[in-house]
Parts: sequence; C-alpha cells; structure tokens
Amino acid sequence: MKVLVTVKEVAAVEDEFEIDGTAIDEAYLEYDLNEWDDYAIEEGVQISESEDDVEVVSVTIGPERSEETIRMALAKGADRAVRVWDDSLEDAEMLDVEAKTNLLAAVVEEEEPDLVLSGVQADDDGFGATGVSLADEVGFEWAAVVNDLELDVEGGVASVRRELEGGVEELTDVDLPAVLTIQTGINEPRYASLRGIRQAQRKEIKPMTLDDLGLSADVAESDLEIVDMYEPETESDATLFEGSPDETAGQLAEVLRDGGVGQ
Amino acid sequence: MDFALSDEQKQIKEEVARFAENEIEPVAQEYDVEEKYPWEIIDKAADAGLLGAHIPFEYGGADYGNLESALITEELFAVDPGIGLSLTSTSFGADAIMEFGTEDQKERFLEPIPTGDAIMGAAISEPDTGSDVSSVSTQAEKDGDEWVINGNKMWITNGSIGDYYVVLCETDPDAEGRYNGFSQIVVESDRDGFEADKITGKLGIRASDTAELMLNDVRVPEENLIGNRGMGFLQQMQFFDETRTAVAAQGVGIAKGASEAALSYAQEREQFDRPISDFQAIQHKLADMHTRTEAARMLTYKAAWNVDQGEDITQLASMAKEFGSRVAVDVANEAVQIHGGAGFVNDFPVERFYRDAKITQIYEGTTEIQKNIIARELLGKGY
Repeated sequence: MKVLVTVKEVAAVEDEFEIDGTAIDEAYLEYDLNEWDDYAIEEGVQISESEDDVEVVSVTIGPERSEETIRMALAKGADRAVRVWDDSLEDAEMLDVEAKTNLLAAVVEEEEPDLVLSGVQADDDGFGATGVSLADEVGFEWAAVVNDLELDVEGGVASVRRELEGGVEELTDVDLPAVLTIQTGINEPRYASLRGIRQAQRKEIKPMTLDDLGLSADVAESDLEIVDMYEPETESDATLFEGSPDETAGQLAEVLRDGGVGQ
Repeated sequence: MDFALSDEQKQIKEEVARFAENEIEPVAQEYDVEEKYPWEIIDKAADAGLLGAHIPFEYGGADYGNLESALITEELFAVDPGIGLSLTSTSFGADAIMEFGTEDQKERFLEPIPTGDAIMGAAISEPDTGSDVSSVSTQAEKDGDEWVINGNKMWITNGSIGDYYVVLCETDPDAEGRYNGFSQIVVESDRDGFEADKITGKLGIRASDTAELMLNDVRVPEENLIGNRGMGFLQQMQFFDETRTAVAAQGVGIAKGASEAALSYAQEREQFDRPISDFQAIQHKLADMHTRTEAARMLTYKAAWNVDQGEDITQLASMAKEFGSRVAVDVANEAVQIHGGAGFVNDFPVERFYRDAKITQIYEGTTEIQKNIIARELLGKGY
C-alpha cells in the first residue's frame, strides 16, 4: 500500500511586519511546516507502523528552501519525498487551488497511491480546498476535515469521522483510493528523533519539473489576482462579570442564551 | 572556512528547542524547587528519540559528533540546565565503552541508553579526590574471575538513580608513574555492597541527580573491566577534550537562555513611561551579554568541530570551557540585574540560571585548573 502525504511550507509573519504592495516583505517572513500537514504526516507514519508493506511518500510544491521542511517529514518516518518546482512556478505571483490541483494530480498519476492525506488547509493562504479539488481531478473518493481514521487495508475502506459545522460530526466509510483532508487533533504529532533526522539525510527527495510531470508552463496561470493586502483592523470586545459565582453565572447564561449558544 | 550550520544541524537545534519549550519549560521550576529527578521528562525524551545522541548507530543511537551534541546541550540548557543535564548525562561514561569496550560490553551497556532503558554515569571524583585526579584511592582487587571494589565516590551525576557506572579504581598500586595503575571498571547499582546517598541542598542544577557512592566489597565479573588494566587514568584523560567542550556548550546554553530572557523582559518592563530597553544603561548590558554569548558560542563550536576532526585540542577545549562558564555566570548575573526585584524570585527563569551557572566553573576541571592547562600549553611545559 502506498500513502501519499501532501505537505506545504507555509510563511508566518513576525509580530511586526510591513506590507509592500500586495506582498509582505521577505525580511518579515519565516517558513515552517504547515501545522495541519504535521498531523497528516503523523497519520501516514502511524499507518506504516501498524500495517505491513506501507510506503509513505511525501510531496511538496516549493523551491529548494522547502527541502528543509520536507526533510522533517522524512525524519518523522516518511520513506521518500517528491519536490515539484520549476522556473515558471517561481515567476507566478501565486499558485491557486487549480494550479496546485493540476500539479499534485500529475504526481498522483505518477505515484498511484492508495491513499492521499493532506492537511485541511494551509496556515498562510488558507484556501482549504486543494485536497478535495485534487480528489475531484483524479477521480478518487474523498472525505474532508477528518479527525479520526480507521483503515481496513484488505477491504479497501477508510472509516472516518468528519468534523462538520456547529459541533456536529459525521461517521462515514470511504472506498480507496481516496483523498482525506486531515484535521488537527486526529493524533499527536511526534518529535523527529535524532536518529530519524540522521537517517532522513540519506532519504531521497526527488526534484520534479513541469516537464517531468508532462505539464506546460500555463499550469501556473490563474484567474485569481491579488488586488490588495492589508492588516485587518482588530478590536476587542470583552465583558467582565464581577461578583460572586452566584451572580455572575446567571449573567453569563443570559449572554450565551442571547448569542444563541445555549437554550 | 565555513561558518554555517548544515540543514541537518539546524533541524537538530529546532527539534530539540521545540521539545525543550513544550515539555521542559512548563515544569522546570517545579523540579528545581522540589529537587527531584525528572523521570517524566526522561521518558518523553526517550520516546522522542532524543537520548544518547553520540551512541553509535548500531547500538541504537544517532552517532552524532561533538558539534551536534553541543547544539543539543545548548538548546536544552537555554531552557533549563537541571533537566538539560539530566537528559544529556544519561550516557555519561559511555565514551570509554565506545572507545575501549568489547563488543559484549557495547551491547550490554550502550544499547539500553538511547531507549531510556538504562541510565549510566562516570565515577571519578572522591571525597579527597577533586582536581587531583591521580589521587584516586578506590581500590579494585582481583579475586579469581572477579573484581572486588572498595572506596567512596563523590559528586556522581546520576549516582542515586543510575543503573551502572564507569568507576575509576586503583588496580595496581605498585605501578610506576603517577598516572599508571588505574583501571576503569563498570559497576552495576544492583550489586551487593553498592550504596548511594543522594546529595541535596545544591545551589543549582537541582533536577539533576548527584550522589555519593559507597562501594563495600562490591564484586563484579572480570569482564566489566573497560580497556586495559592499569591504563584507566590515561583512557579517562582522552575524553577531557570532549567533556570540557560539553561544559562549554552548557555555559553557552545558560548564557543564551539568560540573555534572551533579559532581552524580552527589558522590552516588556516599563518605567518612567517607557520600556526599560529604551535606556542606554540597559541597552549596553544587553549588547554586552549577547556579544559575549556569541563569542563563547564560536569558541565552543570551534572546539567541538576540532574534536570531531580528531584533533588533540587540550588548550582550545580548556579555553572554551573556562570562557563559556565565565560568560554563563556573568550573563546570568546581568540578566538578574535587568530583571531587578523580579529576578530575585523564581517567577522568572533568570533566578534559576543565576544559580545553575556557577557549577559550570567548577565541574570537569575548575576555572583555575583550566587556566593552569592553558598556560601550561602556552609555555610548553607538558604535564
């Protein structure tokens, strides 16, 4: 069985930063593994530890710098990695969901995984759509926002619990091959062991260009355009109830009732 | 010349720092106040695969060198020296087994370390043997196929919680020459006649276990002898470059933790309607603390890198150890000063750093001994 885990190196801004046109100046950015993807990696590695003959392949779209991030996936137990990048992607202002879908779909065609795990969303651009869009493109079954997963490898079925709005959860079975978008909290991501970090240096990170994937440069073309970038105004509206618990509990209940939370 | 850490080294630093911040920082004060061994953190570190960094790959370790070990030590000590030492010391004494041990000894004594199944130690100092290591009086006599060991060992890290110790004993009192006649023998803590007394009331590194060992007719099989009989002192001496570089890294870690804590406090604390970091008196302190920390770090990395190249670096290791520990003490002192009254109580970590820093000027050869060594090397005076 082969599990493909899609990971993304996301940008995080420092507390103080400056916006330059429609982008944030590089000097204020730090790059790290997307939080949701850390859970997806852990889920993939746990599958490989509990089932026989499971290969975990990690894939990312990103420049050479992102190898440091994908190397952490290898240190935590992924067997090998694929990194997709190309000069023409470098020039693109942004890679939208469609572009990522097409790039990842080409990797899926190449790797033919039984299961694709992706994070629910990315911490930076936060589209929250790539996983499901990929499933649609490659014709896999899918389940989004998965916070529990039981895998029946022989039966080819993933029994998942999905998080829906308003605290509602759905239990459902998904036939493999499938794409599951993984929610935080599904597991407890491990630390990369020292031995794992050491071993990861010798694991393969295969670079793939658009040519390698049989794609042309127009894959990066987007109907979306970033027209503005600004910091949202923040305001805080806190009500402090003072007094004994007897008095304040009633006041709190009233606020919750008015807000539609309690009955 | 290459001053950059490799990606791999950066990853080690990041992951160890993440562990320290998530798992150690929240409990550091508790273990310090209660002076108790951090079993819970040891278990977590074992699960995370962070123990026994320098144990060879075939025995379950990561086979990392002195530079990587220095990075790990720095990150752990920057958060808490007491728990940091508890984690880095579970393999104390392993160097001798790695270098001089038999295959059987390596399997028995090295393999359980990275998994956290055993904790070991090195027992050199005695009540009357500190800086003058060649005055070791613990005796080991051969009786049939066993060694019978008698004597007391003092200030032994992991002494009351460990599973076995590499003990420096006198085996051949009649040997000629000051440094001959000593041997390294592994003594397990469950042998009859082995007793350990935990030493309490320490100024700092209070989470780390320190004990006096009392060995009364302790019998161990002859195959517990490490390397060659009579060569123990000289075998031990070979690792001073490593151990002194490691203490230098501890000093760098403490200085890093203290200087960063001071920087962030100075930006938060307001007096006269502005953060105290606006005052030049504080700015100059911060500049000096960070500069000296960086200088100690470079000296330490250089020493560690050279040890990894197989160089004999007696003088450099002593320079790194002496300077690194002095910077730790000075920077922690200034960090408390910047915190003012808040630094005098244990609400902030600088109070702990201030107390923890002092030991780095004392163990693994005092500051005075390091200066003797540096001068001796400069003047070409040999031993």
